[in-house]
Amino acid sequence: MSELLIKNAYVIDPINDIKGEIMDIAIKDRMIADSVSDSAEVIDAKGCLTLPGGVDSHTHICGTKVNFGRYMSPEDMRAGRGRAQPHMYPVSGYSVPTVYANTYRYSALGYTTVLEGAMAPLEARHTHEEFFCTSLQDTMANTLFDGNWSVMEAVSDKDLKRVAAVVGWTLAAVKGFAVKVTNPGGTEMWGWGKDVGCIHQKIDHFGITPAEIIEYLIRANELLNLPHSVHLHCNNLGKPGNYKCTLETMQRTPNLNDKRQTLYMTHVQFHSYGGTKWGDFCSKADDIAWMLNRKPQIAIDMGQVMFGKTTTMTADGPMEFNLYRLYNNKWSNHDVELETGSGIIPVFYSRKNLVNSVMWSIGLELALMTKNPWQCMLATDNPNGAPFVKYPEIIALLMSSRYRDEEFAKIHPDTGKRVHLPSLDREMDFYEIAVMTRAAQAKALGITDIGKGHLGEGAYGDVAIYPIKNNDIDPSRDYSKIIEGFSLTDYTIKSGRVISRHGNCLLNGNNRTIWVKPKISEEYNMSNDPEFVKKFERYYSVSMENYPVEEEYMNKRNICIETETGL
Amino acid sequence: MKIELSIKPREKPFIPIEAESITPASFLEKMTEDITVWSGNREKKLTEIFDVKKSGNADSQKDVEIILNGDCSAVKRVGEYMKDGKISIMGNIGMHCGNFMSGGLIEINGDSDSWLGREMTGGEIICKGNTGDYCGSGYRGEKTGIKGGKITIMKDAGDYLGESMAGGEIIVNGSSGNMPGSEMQKGTITIYKDAVLPCPNMRGGICYVLGEAKEILPTFKQTGSIYNSDHKRELNIYEGDYANRSHKGKLFAGKTNKK
Amino acid sequence: MIKKNVICSFCGCLCDDLSITIEDGKITGVDNGCALANAKFLGKERLLKPVIREGDSIKETEYNTAIEKAADILKDAERPLFFGWSGTQGEAQAKGVHLCMLLGGVIDNTSSLCHGPSILAIQEVGHPGCTLGQVKNRADLIIYWGCNPLEGHPRHMSRYTTYADGFFLKNAFRERKLIVVDVRKTMSSDVADEFIQIEPGGDYAVLSALRAIVRGEEKIIPESVSGVSKSQLKRVADMCKEARFGALFFGLGLTMSKNKYKNIRNAVELTDELSRHTKFTISAMRGHWNVYGANEVFTWMTGYPYAIDFARGIPFYNPGETTAAEILYRKECDALMVVSSDPAAHMPKKCVEHMADIPVIQIDPHKNCTSFFTDVQIPVAITGIEASGTAYRMDGVPLRTKKIIDADFLTDTEVISRIYERILEAKADV
Ligand code: SF4
Ligand SMILES: [Zn+2]
Repeated sequence: MSELLIKNAYVIDPINDIKGEIMDIAIKDRMIADSVSDSAEVIDAKGCLTLPGGVDSHTHICGTKVNFGRYMSPEDMRAGRGRAQPHMYPVSGYSVPTVYANTYRYSALGYTTVLEGAMAPLEARHTHEEFFCTSLQDTMANTLFDGNWSVMEAVSDKDLKRVAAVVGWTLAAVKGFAVKVTNPGGTEMWGWGKDVGCIHQKIDHFGITPAEIIEYLIRANELLNLPHSVHLHCNNLGKPGNYKCTLETMQRTPNLNDKRQTLYMTHVQFHSYGGTKWGDFCSKADDIAWMLNRKPQIAIDMGQVMFGKTTTMTADGPMEFNLYRLYNNKWSNHDVELETGSGIIPVFYSRKNLVNSVMWSIGLELALMTKNPWQCMLATDNPNGAPFVKYPEIIALLMSSRYRDEEFAKIHPDTGKRVHLPSLDREMDFYEIAVMTRAAQAKALGITDIGKGHLGEGAYGDVAIYPIKNNDIDPSRDYSKIIEGFSLTDYTIKSGRVISRHGNCLLNGNNRTIWVKPKISEEYNMSNDPEFVKKFERYYSVSMENYPVEEEYMNKRNICIETETGL
Repeated sequence: MKIELSIKPREKPFIPIEAESITPASFLEKMTEDITVWSGNREKKLTEIFDVKKSGNADSQKDVEIILNGDCSAVKRVGEYMKDGKISIMGNIGMHCGNFMSGGLIEINGDSDSWLGREMTGGEIICKGNTGDYCGSGYRGEKTGIKGGKITIMKDAGDYLGESMAGGEIIVNGSSGNMPGSEMQKGTITIYKDAVLPCPNMRGGICYVLGEAKEILPTFKQTGSIYNSDHKRELNIYEGDYANRSHKGKLFAGKTNKK
Repeated sequence: MIKKNVICSFCGCLCDDLSITIEDGKITGVDNGCALANAKFLGKERLLKPVIREGDSIKETEYNTAIEKAADILKDAERPLFFGWSGTQGEAQAKGVHLCMLLGGVIDNTSSLCHGPSILAIQEVGHPGCTLGQVKNRADLIIYWGCNPLEGHPRHMSRYTTYADGFFLKNAFRERKLIVVDVRKTMSSDVADEFIQIEPGGDYAVLSALRAIVRGEEKIIPESVSGVSKSQLKRVADMCKEARFGALFFGLGLTMSKNKYKNIRNAVELTDELSRHTKFTISAMRGHWNVYGANEVFTWMTGYPYAIDFARGIPFYNPGETTAAEILYRKECDALMVVSSDPAAHMPKKCVEHMADIPVIQIDPHKNCTSFFTDVQIPVAITGIEASGTAYRMDGVPLRTKKIIDADFLTDTEVISRIYERILEAKADV
């Protein structure tokens, strides 16, 4: 039995309502315990900021699309190379780094849990294979349902239970964690080179609308009693004027769950655009935040853009094609039969570019205008808005209005007329940052019950100790120390084991994959449904027997959350 | 300061030496004993691979001249990131000589292997022999090749000369291989003899083929011809590549053979 | 006993609908497979025991001795080369990468001899593609360029294109048009609606001409391009633009002919241009069953799909320099490990000569041309028959091949892991 005692920690643990107290943390056999014996290994935190391990609720680090981003980008690979260290493999890559680079860099930032934002069910094995190498973080996969034919057919038949049955079967089959919907209907239309313009546009052949897909999936999600809510990437990403579509989607969201939000909207920065074209493009973060403040049933992540080089990658195939026509850089696309799509292009967000400057402002505005930090999570849609290594800079921007002003002075001079940022003087404190980088995520993902995202007794011993001393630092002035401090933990501890010290990581952190298995009666088991089976065998290019992800792809200590359902 | 490096006989002479440390800057900033090169997967002292004779002093890179003696065709990356000074290579030189170079002069008396002057931004390379493929090109996946500087080849060049070139000048006194100036955006390439399939997919820049241009693409538009007094020759003028959305490249060719 | 839905580990189609009859622990029948699959599943020839070379003779030995010898060869090499990987399970590929990282060698897979140029092109301009089922359900125009699927990928047309059922096509076979582009007539061109015969080496010019025509610049195109008439080019451009969903597949006839990766780049850019008019995708006809898997595994572990040099401890990638054939040609490596492939049969003579000069380790169930040069050959279980393991189809769909009969062989993964462990021990001893 391993025991660890962290002494003298300045702890913020929002889920347990600890808002900054010097205390000791005991970890026994991977879990937080009440106490440990005298023989426990001791770490002296020396009063440094100590938080539950970070949780990223939306990132792209594993799977077909991510790997294709690497595959097509040797120029990105050479931008982040590192030699092997005693307990680390060599690494490559900046915006789409190798699996090892991702897992090392996340652990250096104190993250111990990550959710891959988009996994096509047909290609799920790939995501799980990469999860195997992402060994310093526990992993989960959002599973794509935006263009799932069986779902769309069931929606068209107005058969909610069938929608839920298909979703439940698929999640269990591919060992996914949550329901992801990317540009609902749009990815199916992209199969014909088209897109949907608003949530009420009918989808070819299926005759249903994005709004209906969202509505049914939200209800099916609750019927399946899944830990996380539906995770939505709205229609019309990146188009001027798309905020109306976003607002209406928010407006339509029911409040169906009292433990967490009913809808998680991701990278909302990309969906808060006013204007009609790039010429009159402007921020509508105020309207989106106004709505969010009235809708506790919704949680969002920022989708913050940071200046510099990165790679955009999403299941939203048509959007990537639009970006390609805008930037004329290399473009990859990968449609997945009967399910979804994806696209990838490299981009450069420039301070000198007005549109990019406005985008940068919008993300910050969303965070600063959302009253309740539990509703707005810090993320960049890694690597779409920026690689996650930029998180510390975003933290500093949220904590220091002085830093924001200084940065604002460096961006395109016309930005001021199109955004609200200069008028916002809110400065977040460590508690709010702790909420926005782990606690809110864990709550939104519904994984606090299994012991993630907090330091209560029985929780996993996931802890990040940052070289930041609350009393010695004024984040508003010393923002560069904030950046430094959040960039490199003194200790990152996962399941009671130190996995990273000052960025020196372990080869293997014995990560776990968290997945769901809704309990569904035989009546609703799609494996027994002749129509489903027939269509599967006829139109997929693999047989149904070879579709489910085998046990071999699960790490040893994977966590299966079985849910009681209404089916 | 003058540094004379003579390559020693090696047990496995074909194992490549990676010697990006052979630049005026390293000799100015480091003790010779501290300079290392790589032989396969082993880091070795420079002096294990080369006999080193150092004479004179220097205050700046400009005053440093490095002379490489012997057959250095397995020595890669010489003069990488060179900013100033001079490197004289008496025989052949291996791949990636003068990569990322921004100033100074590299003179090669023998042949140079592929990727000569890759991604250079300034300075000058003169190769008195032949050069391999990808002279003055970019890196895999990168959008641009060289952005500045000058490369002169006295004999022939291999394939993909000046790929994705975005500035600077390349002169080949002999012929080039297949596809010089592919994806070219800016800058000038002059080939005194022949070339095959010049400038495919070019968007900008200028390329002269003063001998025979073989297989000019059907997507180049001939807009006329001129007598070029510099080269004392009648040249056909083409615009292209019309396969591309932007096609502001100019190709001047002597005798041509359009495919 | 009959096993159904067995995955064929022969070509990049990874057909997963084979029925295999097994009697007394032996395969006696194959249903649904093509002739290539039958040969693979019913093949009898194989190496039964590890062999090592002693002087001029080859001797049978035990796994332990062979593994020991392999480790011995590799541990002190200054520039070991690890080549092959397209015919083995993903798990073994991953182990191979770790071994190469440990030893500071170069690792390359057989892409460098087949679709390496396609990868270089994709790195320049990207890749608008899709899974094969997307083509099957939607495409009303199929183009095969520089490939002859009926011989190289015999079931490609029946499972994924011309003869497959398609959800959005009432009568798929009649509604789908087929264009074949090649330098000569083939079995596949015989069934095409339109056959474009190009003079050898003329693909690039034809692709450029098509791009210009699609962009409305047909005026400048001459009456004939590389032996193809302008009227045919215009007709083909129209067919592409009018299709609801077009899918272009290309093979080695395009990647390995003159202009290599620039051909593929041009084809991708034609696809980009057509995507402004309709739905269009492009895909490579990957040959070996798990060559795409090798690209995927190498990529997530090292950042690059093939040709990775770890000599400096940091991955470096530069095909043309770090590719196996070039390294052998320049005699750079001082040891070679070949896994599930036959470089001696496919590389230039000068490369093969160097194989004779250096120690060669081979991990392969079968003897092949490379075996003439090996100092140690270690037979392994055949993935997809005697061992299970991950494979990636030519379109990136990952599948788990199955173990369908028992055999007394170690898997590639086990053999490589044991070599790795042995070297770690040896290094620790020093
Ligand atoms: S087409 Fe290829 S994968 Fe399919 S059965 Fe034939 S050899 Fe096997
Ligand atoms: Zn995302």
